[in-house]
Order: sequence, then structure tokens, then C-alpha cells
Amino acid sequence: MENLGIIFALLGASLAALMAGIGSAIGVGMAGEAAAGVVTEDPGKFGKVLILQLLPGTQGIYGLLIAFITLSQIGILGGSSDISVAKGLLYLAACLPMAFVGLWSAVKQARASVAGIQLVSKRPDQMGKSMIFPAMVETYAILALLISILSINGIGGLNI
Amino acid sequence: MSKLPMKRVGIYGLKSRRKEILEALQRYGVLEPISCDLSGSGFEKLDTARATARFMNAKNILERALGVLNEYSPEKASLFSTLEGKKTMTAGQYYELIENSDNALNIAREINELAKRIYELRLELVKTENSISALSPWKDLDIPLDFAGTKKTAAFIGTFPEEYTAEEITAGYFETLTQRGCADDVRYAIDVTVVHSDRQMTCAVIIGRRDMKNELDGILRERGFAAPVCRAGKLPRTEIERLRSKIAGIDAEIEENTARIVKRAESRRLIEFMADYYLMRIEKYELLCDINQRKKFFVIFGYVPEKYAAALEMFLAERYGAVTEISEVSEEDEVPVLLKNNKFSSPVETVLETYSMPNKTEIDPTFVLSLFYYFLFGLMLSDAGYGLLMILGCGFVLMRLRNMEPGMKKTIKMFFYCGISTFFWGILFGSFFGDAVAVIASTFFDSDLALRPLWFEPIKDPMRMLIFSFAIGIVHLFAGLGIKLYQLLREGDIKSAFFDVVCWYLLVGGGIAYLLTMDMFVSMANLSFKLPPAVQTAAVIAAAVGAAGITLFSGRSSRNIFKRIAKGLYDLYGVTGYLSDILSYSRLLALGLATGVIAQVFNQMGSMFGGGAVGAVCFTLIFVIGHSLNMAINLLGAYVHTNRLQFVEFFGKFYEGGGKKFEPFSANTNYFKFKEEK
Repeated sequence: MENLGIIFALLGASLAALMAGIGSAIGVGMAGEAAAGVVTEDPGKFGKVLILQLLPGTQGIYGLLIAFITLSQIGILGGSSDISVAKGLLYLAACLPMAFVGLWSAVKQARASVAGIQLVSKRPDQMGKSMIFPAMVETYAILALLISILSINGIGGLNI
Repeated sequence: MSKLPMKRVGIYGLKSRRKEILEALQRYGVLEPISCDLSGSGFEKLDTARATARFMNAKNILERALGVLNEYSPEKASLFSTLEGKKTMTAGQYYELIENSDNALNIAREINELAKRIYELRLELVKTENSISALSPWKDLDIPLDFAGTKKTAAFIGTFPEEYTAEEITAGYFETLTQRGCADDVRYAIDVTVVHSDRQMTCAVIIGRRDMKNELDGILRERGFAAPVCRAGKLPRTEIERLRSKIAGIDAEIEENTARIVKRAESRRLIEFMADYYLMRIEKYELLCDINQRKKFFVIFGYVPEKYAAALEMFLAERYGAVTEISEVSEEDEVPVLLKNNKFSSPVETVLETYSMPNKTEIDPTFVLSLFYYFLFGLMLSDAGYGLLMILGCGFVLMRLRNMEPGMKKTIKMFFYCGISTFFWGILFGSFFGDAVAVIASTFFDSDLALRPLWFEPIKDPMRMLIFSFAIGIVHLFAGLGIKLYQLLREGDIKSAFFDVVCWYLLVGGGIAYLLTMDMFVSMANLSFKLPPAVQTAAVIAAAVGAAGITLFSGRSSRNIFKRIAKGLYDLYGVTGYLSDILSYSRLLALGLATGVIAQVFNQMGSMFGGGAVGAVCFTLIFVIGHSLNMAINLLGAYVHTNRLQFVEFFGKFYEGGGKKFEPFSANTNYFKFKEEK
């Protein structure tokens, strides 16, 4: 039972990488389909639509980031892995914002990206603006990332 | 940091020199024509639709020929060829080449004909191949396929849709005869030869008595017997031979035509030139149909940047005897915008353009924009290694390819400066390909050498980085407000300057100063300083004055006092906008950490194979792939989010845009650049 701490902590790290990764995979896939459609009509727009396709991909990276920071904090990547149950649950809780917001924001951002890709296919000069709409959605993934990072960093110093 | 002042010009020239003048203007490329209609005062316009259509047609022929050439004789492209600019051509060369215009069109037509012929031959080839494959089951048959029998016998040549042997066919035939109750004395034998059989079909020759032809035919049909799809009067074998030699002939002809196209490739330059030439003529004629003219002379109106106006006037007067009338632009004119910035800032003009050009009342914010652009971009990518790669890559391209298109050159330059900033922040934060130095040292050399940050490591101290990010955000937002203040003061609108800008400075600034005096905030943010309590009072007063100013006066356009206060309160609510704007800068921390941590992940993965030769090879491999990936994705992230911070947070404070970009009448060619010899 005393080992439950590390299990909870790893569960949190995995959830962050898992859910944010799923979200980005769905998102990048959706945007990729739309992008491929545009490229069939005009191969010259490849560079532009590729950028838009990649935008929902960042959540997966943020998830990886949280997972990695957690792993290094709980000593799975070397060091002592003596984590109390309370601390383990705290790590789990700290990872949740990134996990859930990562999943949903990536999917929603992908929809904005798809719309942006359609915009660029008709008006290539509006590239700058079409990038901003998906980037707006990403703000919330960044806020979640922020809370997750700050929490994980804070937990290390707690004395429980 | 400015918009180039524009002049309005009217150019009056003799109709007899119209062509020369228009071509000179096109090469000069500083005049943006205005469309206006003077038909009321004796001027008329030319209908150029037919001529334009003719040029369009010629251009399409040339472009198609170039497409064919690219397919059959592609030019060798170097790595940087897409970045290379267009070749320069002087007016002298230009007129020399025009002599060959008919020649080029003929060559292009010929190329298109050859390509069309190849296309037809290919179709023919497919058709012939299909015939061969249809005939090939019959290749062992030693009578012609349309053989119908002799005087006494009837022959049926055809296929069954199933696999049969000769015995099965014979047995089936007699079985059907029995079923039909056929008399024994007419059960004449039939001769069945199976030429070919597989699962889908059986090719057979069936010979019976001629007087039984109809019965035989009926029974065979019932079993799905059908004549072969291909017909040949000769032996199938001979027919296949003939088709084979036909294919050889087609192949040879395709090859010959291809060779002829490849030989025409030497005229590629000429064709490219002529395609450009017709493109220019199309553009010229589009202007021409908009020119007001009378019997002897014509007039063009347009905008010219002030600094070119006098030179243009001289040039047109000396060479073509045209008169240029230069006048000031008026208030109502929709003057196009041309930006002029120093070498350091001008690359960021492309970013401004993707948002919008400044409108009539706004100043060009490029200079301030560029300062923050480089700064924020570097902060988000913040890796000395990636920065170095950007500097070297962009620097190399800039050195090698001096003839790049202006837009591309600006973009590359922008990333060059961003690279410098990235390098700078990387050094401050101690990140060189993540923690590559430390990992390599400990894995391969057993030392604890590491790159120490000049300032601090954001990964170790994210709270400090977060506060720093917010501080940058506040500076950025206040700079935006500052530009608004400058614009309002320049217009002399003191009231707006105070209530719409200074009040916000007081409110937001006061709020921040107040936070800095609070114990709770200071300990939470881990700050090393705390403002004295005296500041607290001052901050409260400042914020209160600001809030009061906004509430009472920001709705001052409304007469109704209640409406005015309500509007003021609504605007005051906008303070939440400032909160979210500032929080938005936390992406500086997030993206910076993303770069650093993922770089670390790759370094760690690489070091898993340990030291030694194998380890070194694996490490190099993972290092190269991993860091290329990380750099690409974070470059994209830094680019997108720097743009976002500029467009949403920064521009949100002062910039509307909506100006029209200066687009002079010039040669927008695809292959060559034409220069006026000055």
C-alpha cells in the first residue's frame, strides 16, 4: 500500500501525455484531411496549410512536457521514488488540467484550424489572420499547462 | 518608422508616344494609377477587351509550353533555387528579344502540338495493349477468329464464362439434347477443342454439322457461350505479332517526339521572356482601357511617393516630352500606403502586412513592433543552439542569394534577427540544444561540465519566469497604449489622450503597484523586493483617479448622463481585458519550457545507449532527428504565438489598420525582372 503514491503520480503523468496526445492526434488528423483537400486543388498552398495543420499539435507536446516534468520530479527517471500517497494524489491532480484541457482544446482548435484552412484556400493573403483563430483556442491549453507546471513544481517542496 | 508621403500626379502625354510612355512607367514602377472618368468633358476611353483576350491566349500557349518543357526536360533545381530571385533584364535586352516574339509563339505552339501528339500516342498505346491482352488466350488457335465453318460444318469460336474441359462441354451438349427429347438419329457428334481455360473463362472452338447449326447455337448460348470480344481476320498469333510491332512503332514515335520537345528546351528562356512580355502587356492594356484620352493626347492620374515624384517628372519630360502635374493629396483621397523603415525593422513589415496596413490617421508601428517581435520570438524559442542554426542558415542564404524576391528576403532577414534574439535568450537561460552540453559531457567524457545560465534556468524556477513574462507583457501593453497616446496627441485630441489612455495607465499601473505592496503577492511571486506602504496609498489614489476618469468620461460622446455613466462603467469593465491580456503572456513561459524540456527529452533518449562508439552513433542519430523535429515545431509555435501577442494583445490597444497597400503599375512578371536604365 505504501507504494500507491508513485502509482498515482505516474497515473497523472500518463494521463497528461495520453489525453493531450489523443487530442492532438485527432486534431492534427482532422486538419490534415482538410489540408490535403486544399492541396489537391492547389499544391502551391502546401506550406501554408501545413502550418495550420500543425497548430493543434502543440497540446500533445504540452502533455509530454507535463509528463516529463512529473517523471523527473517523482524519480522515475532516476533518483529516489519514495512518494507518499498524498503526494502521489497531488501529482495526479496537478496533471489533470493539462490532460483534460489538452484533449478538448486540441479538438476544438482543430476545428478552428480546418476553418482557417478553408479560409486560406479561398484567400491565401489572409494567412496571418487565419492563424490567429486557432491560436486563440490554444490560450486555454497554455493556461492549463501553466497551472499544471506550477502545481507540479510546488508539490516537490511540500512536506507531506 | 513611417509611411512614405504620397503625391497625386497627372501625366499628360502625346498619344503618338503613348506606348513608350506606358512601358517606361511600367518599368519605373512608382505610379499607382487612379481610375477616373472624364467622359463628360470630351475624353474617351479605349476598349481593349479584344486585345487583352488575344494576349491572354498567347500567354496561355506560352505557359502551357513551359509546363510541357518542365515535364519532359525539367531544369536542374538546386536546394535554394526556390529562394533565388528573378533574372534581371535591361531595356536594351528587352527590345532585342521582342524581335523574336513570333518565333517564340511558334516554338511554343510546336511544343504544345508535340505534347498533344504524345498524349494521343499514349492513348493509342493503351488501346493496343488492351487488344493484345484480349487476344492472348487465343494465341494457340491455328484458324482465324472469324472462321465460321466449311460447306458441311459449322464452327463456333467463343468463350464460356466458367472453366470447362472439352469432355464437360460435349457431355453437357448431349445432356441438353436428351432433356429436349431429341431423337437419337440426329445426335451427331461435335468436336470441341479448348484453346485456353482459366477460372473466369474457357476459350473453345466447337465444330458440328452445318444442318444442326441452329440447335447447336441455341444450346451453346444457354450455357453462356459468346463470341470473343476481339475480332481478327488473320490467325490470332499473327494479329498479336502485328500489334506488338505497332506498339514498338508507337514507342519509337513517343521517344522521337519527346526528343524533339527536349531539343526545344533551348528556347525556354525565350518562351519565359515572352510569357512575361504578354503578362506585362495584359497589365498595360488593363491600365490602357482606363486612360482618358482625346484626339491628340492622353492623361493618367495616380499616386507617386513624394521622393520619386520629381525624378519621374524629369524622366518623363526629358525622354518622352510628357508633362507631369504634381499636387498634394486631399483629405478625402484613399491614399495607398507604402512603408519605409530602417534595415533593422523593415523585415517585420511583412508581419504588419499580414494583419493590415495602417489607415489614414494611424502611424506606422513597424519600429516598435519589430523591437517586441524579435524580443518575444527569442524568448519563446530561447535556445542558443537553435538560435545559432537560424543565424547561420539565414545568414548563409542572405549571403549566397543576393537576388532574392524582396518579400522572401524580408522574411529571411526577420528570422535572422529572431535567431540572434533566440541565441541571446538561450545564453541567458543556459540552454544549448537543451542540456546537450551537460548530457554529452557526462555520457561520453565523465565530466560534470555544463552550460551555466547567465541569468537563471526557467525549468528550475518557473515562477520567476512567469513573473518575468507578465512584466514583459505589461511593458508590451503599455507600449501599445503609448502609441495610441502619441497618435492622439499628434492629432491634438488632448481629451481623448487623457481619458482613453492616461486613465488606463493610472488604473492598470496603480493596480499593479498596489499588488507589489501586498505581502501575499510578493511572497507568492517570490519577489526579492516589496514596494513601501507609502506607494500603496499613491497606487490606490492613481487607480481611483483612473477608474473615475474612465467611468465618467469614456462615454462622453453620449449626451444622456445615464447612458454616459452606463457606457463608462461598461468600459471600466474592460479592465478584466487587461487581466486576461497580461495572463496571456504566460505563453512566453510555456513555449520556452516546451522547447527546453523536449530538447532535454531527446538528449536523455540519446544518452540511454551509454558512452562508446555505438552510443555515440545512436546519440548523434537521435540528436539530429530529435532536435530537427523540436526546432521545427517550436519555430512554428514561436512564430504563431509571437504573431498572436502582437496582433491580439498589442494591436488591440491602438491599431485598427484598413489602409490600402501601395501597388504601383509595374511589371509583375514571373521569370524576369525588368529595370529602367537610369
